Amino acid sequence: MKNSILSALGILCMLSSCSLFEADNYEAPAVELKGIVVDAQTGAPVLTDQGSEGIRVRLTELSWGDNVEHNPDFYCMPNGTFQNTKLFKGNYNITVDGPFIPLVRTDGDGKVLSDDSKNMELNGSHEIKMEVHPFLKVEWVGDPVVENGKIKAKVKITRAVTEQFFRDKIEPLGNYNPDFLNVTDIQLFVSYSATVGYRARDERWSSKIEYNGDSFKTKLGQVIDIVSTGEIPKGRTVFVRAASRINYDTPRGTGNRRWNYNEAKRVDIP
Amino acid sequence: MKKILIILSLVSSIGLTGCADLDITPKNIVTDQDLLNTPAGMDIYMARMYSLMPFEDFKYMAQWGIEFNGWLAAIGIEGTGEAVTRDGISTSFTGERTAYWGRAFELLRDANHLIETLPNYRDKFSEELYNHYLGEGYYVRATVFYAMARRFGGIPLVTKELQYPNTLENLEIPRSSEEDTWNQILKDYDEAIKLMLPKGPKSGYSNKYVALSFKSEAMLYAGSVAKYNETVSGRLTGLGRKTGVRVIGFDASTAKAASQKYFAEAYSAARQVMTAGGYSLYKKKWAANDKEAQYQNMVDMFSDLSSPENIYVKEYVYPTLTHSFDAFSSPFTVRSPLSAGTCPTVDFMELFDGFDKYPDGTVKVTTGQSNREGEYELYDKPMDFFKNAEPRLRAYVIFPDDIFKQRKMDIRAGVYTGQTPVKPLFTDYSYATADTRYQQLGVYTGSPKTLYLSPRDGSGQQTVDYNGQKMNAAGNEGPFFDNGEATLTGFYVRKWLNTNPAKEVGEGKSDQPFILMRYAEVLLNAAEAAVELKMLGASPADGSDLLQTATTAVNEIRTRAGADLLAGTISGDNTGRDIVRRERRKELAFEHKAKWDLRRWRVLHFEGRDGFWGTQKDKNLYSNNENFRFRGLYPFFSTATGKYFFDARFQWVSTKTFRYTPVDYYFEIPGDEVAKSPKIDQQPNR
Repeated sequence: MKNSILSALGILCMLSSCSLFEADNYEAPAVELKGIVVDAQTGAPVLTDQGSEGIRVRLTELSWGDNVEHNPDFYCMPNGTFQNTKLFKGNYNITVDGPFIPLVRTDGDGKVLSDDSKNMELNGSHEIKMEVHPFLKVEWVGDPVVENGKIKAKVKITRAVTEQFFRDKIEPLGNYNPDFLNVTDIQLFVSYSATVGYRARDERWSSKIEYNGDSFKTKLGQVIDIVSTGEIPKGRTVFVRAASRINYDTPRGTGNRRWNYNEAKRVDIP
Repeated sequence: MKKILIILSLVSSIGLTGCADLDITPKNIVTDQDLLNTPAGMDIYMARMYSLMPFEDFKYMAQWGIEFNGWLAAIGIEGTGEAVTRDGISTSFTGERTAYWGRAFELLRDANHLIETLPNYRDKFSEELYNHYLGEGYYVRATVFYAMARRFGGIPLVTKELQYPNTLENLEIPRSSEEDTWNQILKDYDEAIKLMLPKGPKSGYSNKYVALSFKSEAMLYAGSVAKYNETVSGRLTGLGRKTGVRVIGFDASTAKAASQKYFAEAYSAARQVMTAGGYSLYKKKWAANDKEAQYQNMVDMFSDLSSPENIYVKEYVYPTLTHSFDAFSSPFTVRSPLSAGTCPTVDFMELFDGFDKYPDGTVKVTTGQSNREGEYELYDKPMDFFKNAEPRLRAYVIFPDDIFKQRKMDIRAGVYTGQTPVKPLFTDYSYATADTRYQQLGVYTGSPKTLYLSPRDGSGQQTVDYNGQKMNAAGNEGPFFDNGEATLTGFYVRKWLNTNPAKEVGEGKSDQPFILMRYAEVLLNAAEAAVELKMLGASPADGSDLLQTATTAVNEIRTRAGADLLAGTISGDNTGRDIVRRERRKELAFEHKAKWDLRRWRVLHFEGRDGFWGTQKDKNLYSNNENFRFRGLYPFFSTATGKYFFDARFQWVSTKTFRYTPVDYYFEIPGDEVAKSPKIDQQPNR
């Protein structure tokens, strides 16, 4: 009897270790970061679509040293805001990529020419504003109308930065081509979802107009008519948004030419 | 008691003493002495290296990578357009589950060890044999570097055996530039070609012409990257963040010269195989103007080990070294345990001769100007639709109602009981409506019901009364709209399948060889390099006529295939280039080659997608600005006439969409390798 108590105690001793009875000493990630991406000139939010074709938010925790990999990317919401409420506290670099002049610009040899990303010590609840220079501004002209199950909308596309400004910022990056400025297409996204955009579009009804070369140049600032395709059944409620983009991918080399959007509108099909 | 214990412990402590130091080599460790001393030992060394080679055969799945994993064996399903399958493995080739990284360095170490250590045993072999073994070392190294370069661009060029334990600085090797990587591959292939025998010392060994053939393939990749990277946004190049080395793409000032250099190397390597290799196209059963013979010839050639076309073959032996291609890619009624892993598409079929086409190049199934106009053409039997089909296509693909293993392959999508002529079943065949299926049509769901389809086989079959008998809506081989284990597209693959009806089908029961390199590819490599060189205004070192070489090569292949011959000489422009590319798409289909060709041509992302099929085809027919899909050809039986009609429609069963962006042309470097190394760079555009 005595033996078995002793051996039980012995086994317990063997199983224990110094940290066995201590609680995990690392705090759960609770740092909050909220942000908004705004046009530096007007202060208006840069509208986007949530997904890898929209505005990408990239955080990099710098305390790991030079050889650090960035945190998993996440994306802005359609209204241009983003938030992450489960971050570990630490020193972060924060940058966004989207349909605007890149915040971090390097030349062909990798030399950093300009860096507008933010470095911040995150340890509580933070709200930041990322100021950017969007490529295009997309606006509704009047309200969309419905005819025979098709939505007819009028939009106006203007440049949000001047051609000269774009050139001044982009040319030093190397391999500049004036074709970068060409507006390549206008999209009309239609969806049952209020978060309509590229990702949530319904392919039966969404339509697009494509422009070759610089053929859109004369249409800048003009009212463009765009009509949905197919026939939306009667009695449905859909949401529409227009988007447009230029012939420049961000980040360069990804081939991801991101759209500038206008705000979604609700359309009831009578 | 105590006494015994003391005695015991004394005795055992005596047993623990000894006087000699243990410095003899353990008998159970194989050393260089044992292996590099004799040809028999070299066989073992080579067998290990060859078993680790990144070969893509029946045991390679594009989505999984180099895992030597033969489960679900299927070929051409990774967004090449050749075929589709029901599972998630049928997805775009944007990376591999097991990145080819760790295994590569393991094999590199073996190759480098051989190159560095074999000179100590030089006197054990004849001069020729010694050179050949050394050449194998370089050949293996070139193969590994090439396999990595086409995935990642610039890679760490480990060209010596790393000694460890060692300090970190001596073990860390950063990625080289992409240009240096291709130059190293060129150098290693050239070294192998110089050293290796024209015929390997044993069956299974490589030889000079094997190395030359793969060199031509690798250099074609390098030349294409140097040239076609320029067509992608951002010129598809960038510097590594940690090293500042151009790890992907080429410098603007060297790209053109580099592409010319690599194309010239590809051309001359292929030419050497053509003029001195002694290989020829397989034509044992071929006969002029005899489609049946031409078809049978091309069925047989893939399993005939004595084929003069075979340059490099991975052999299998039942029951010790086997694969499972038949178990996973056979037609539905032959399944064991699965089936229909490789379902060819109608888009692939459209590349071949022998079909009427609409003005947009798609196959003609109605009397109108597109497949939503006019009425369906009717055929007495399904095979009538294919009566003029190129024999090569018939050897690669099983058509509805064609014979396989002495049985008719009963492929039928449904039965139509309405009156003829029949109008196209859908009003819209555009990409936007690709998700509308036959089972959603009013003729199927409504009343009167005139279209019968089957969700599954057996009791899942709908039936129709026809001539006093019950007729199943779908054929025995499918397609079934709720069962992806039968054909998804109206076709099954024929290439590589065992044709012997007596041969048992099952996992690990197949032993057909896989041809890794054959003479037809060498011809196509020469032809493609020739046209590219002509466009660059270069002339070859051997003084041959570039365009004539290309024309003869393509015509030789077309003759054997039973296809229409070229009307004239191939031109030195994009049109000529596309003739060669299209021929390559057709001839080398289902051989794990197309996915690399599509990558090096840079025709997978939306802006470049018009060239996806090797020939120019409007991308909007099958893609939106991001995704793309493939189509099937679905045969229907009309009870009113007793005849068949066909409908070409986006993949109906187990729908798959594919997507590619310029980022995907260079696979991601495994994240942990980047994170743990101060020198390994991630791709700059990721």
